[in-house]
Amino acid sequence: MIEVEHLSKHFTLRAPTGGGGALRSFLSRERRVVRAVDDLSFRVGAGEIVGYLGPNGAGKSTTIKMLTGLLVPTSGDLRVDGVVPWRARRTYVARIGAVFGQRTTLWWDLPVIESLELLGHVYRVPPGRLRSNLREFGELLGLGEFLHTPVRALSLGQRMRADLCAALLHDPHLLFLDEPTIGLDVVAKERIREFVRRVNRERGTTVLLTTHDLADVQKLCRRVMIIDHGRLLYDGDLGALQDRFGGERRLVVDLAEAADVEVEGARVVERDGPRVTLAFRREDVSASDLIRRVTERHAVRDLSVLEPDIEGTVREIYEKNLLGA
Amino acid sequence: MVPPLTLEYAGRSMTSPPALPSASAPGARGELLASARLFVEVARLALRRQLAYRAAAFAGLVTNLFFGLLRSSVLLALLAGQDSAYGLGARDLVTYTALTQGLIVYLSLFGWWDLMQNVYRGDVATDLMRPMSFYGFWLAQDAGRALAGLLMRGLPLVLAYALFFPIVTPTSPTGWAAFLVSLLLAGLLSFAYRFLVNLAAFWSPDARGIGRFAFTIVGLLSGFLMPLAFLPGWLREAAGFTPFPHMVGTVVDVWLGKLQGAALARALCEQAAWTVALVLLGRWLLGRARRRLEIGGG
Repeated sequence: MIEVEHLSKHFTLRAPTGGGGALRSFLSRERRVVRAVDDLSFRVGAGEIVGYLGPNGAGKSTTIKMLTGLLVPTSGDLRVDGVVPWRARRTYVARIGAVFGQRTTLWWDLPVIESLELLGHVYRVPPGRLRSNLREFGELLGLGEFLHTPVRALSLGQRMRADLCAALLHDPHLLFLDEPTIGLDVVAKERIREFVRRVNRERGTTVLLTTHDLADVQKLCRRVMIIDHGRLLYDGDLGALQDRFGGERRLVVDLAEAADVEVEGARVVERDGPRVTLAFRREDVSASDLIRRVTERHAVRDLSVLEPDIEGTVREIYEKNLLGA
Repeated sequence: MVPPLTLEYAGRSMTSPPALPSASAPGARGELLASARLFVEVARLALRRQLAYRAAAFAGLVTNLFFGLLRSSVLLALLAGQDSAYGLGARDLVTYTALTQGLIVYLSLFGWWDLMQNVYRGDVATDLMRPMSFYGFWLAQDAGRALAGLLMRGLPLVLAYALFFPIVTPTSPTGWAAFLVSLLLAGLLSFAYRFLVNLAAFWSPDARGIGRFAFTIVGLLSGFLMPLAFLPGWLREAAGFTPFPHMVGTVVDVWLGKLQGAALARALCEQAAWTVALVLLGRWLLGRARRRLEIGGG
């Protein structure tokens, strides 16, 4: 579906040369090159849902802009369905859909239904198909209650649902979701995820998801790509990512009476009265061995094991640039 | 004996038009129809959007009327007892204020910033991601907006004038037809110019100054602020080399019947030529803007 090879996008900025400010930088020929995307290669198969992660400014949206045909790469190859996006813009964009959580793609002061019908004309969706898609998506997303409300009067959750429907009316092969759950409450997030999962399963729509909400990734994607400084840091299974970089597990012990806990393979990270938290690595010691070692030496009232969450894993990757080394 | 192949060919060409590749003929026509349909839909929605603000339209109408009367009295004072000034009589001058006040919304004479705002908000990316002509989409939107301006502001204003003043109207069906053609061309020309001005947003991080300058020039040289006949000779001549007089002045002259026969035909042709030129320039510049966006980034 998506084939990307050695893709790069460099921007040239006029370098501010200190003192003299704007005029100097305007006159000077000094340039600074920003490598927003640098030698990126990956493939996405039809029907996949791939999470595309990275800290702010990592090059995510530059990649998306190239994939949607808005930006022309500096070098490298990019094909979607065999088409080079910016070469055949009109035919290409008819086959993709996009939802940008931060802004709506609907017309601000029109009722939702009018925006959707207009999009039907824009994408030349056959009337029968438009009707059946509207019915199906309307039901799944619960659009009925606000179909005749102007977009500007919708709540964020309603707007996002309307945007999702709008992005899928023309049966795109590929769907870009950029922060589709940003600012939503838990129930609304879950509803959107369920919908995306369903569209992917029933229609085989390929989905590329960029988000900072790792719960989205966890619930939707089997595969993740992590990008930083324009380079791909990781591309693979979400589970493997956690195994490899999952960091430490925790054992929380409630002792019968406060004491110093010292066990092989683990270290104390927190002490709060009789509660002691130990950190340990999967490869050093198993949870059951560690528990045995603790209970052999101390009287224990209660125990619990905490698995590292993906949030922590990704934070560690961003902060320490674990994969770049 | 004639070979069967030729017979068959001859038979077919008798009943149906010359054989075009069957896929492309209905395809191209369907494409055109779909585009026309989209244009009408976009214009219709833009019209509806304007019609929703009836109270605002009424307030605007009253304002336009008030300033129209003010302008009329100033111009009549200029006559100072004479029959006419620069070839315009009292009735012409009153009619002139009615028409120019009525055209304000139709031609967005006080400025139009929609595309600029769209670029600065970043919504332009969404529009570029749709399988449609960007220029055509904006033209359709403006057509709907302009039509609403005519229906809700222009027409009522001229009718209100006609109730209380002896205004001049076209006297023949040809006169009316010429006026409608000129009005349509002025609308297109005005859009093409406003689109061009707004494209500056692709190059400048704040193109409002450019816009204000560009729209002020229109007010002065189009014949909106004062009749073109009132301008000093050299300025009037200079204006003749620009498209501006064809936005307002030509429309007014056609309505007043000041242009007849060959002069009328020439004025309409010039108006059309400027329209085509500015549309082409706008489309070319849009291409450049887009390339700049593609290479330079958002």
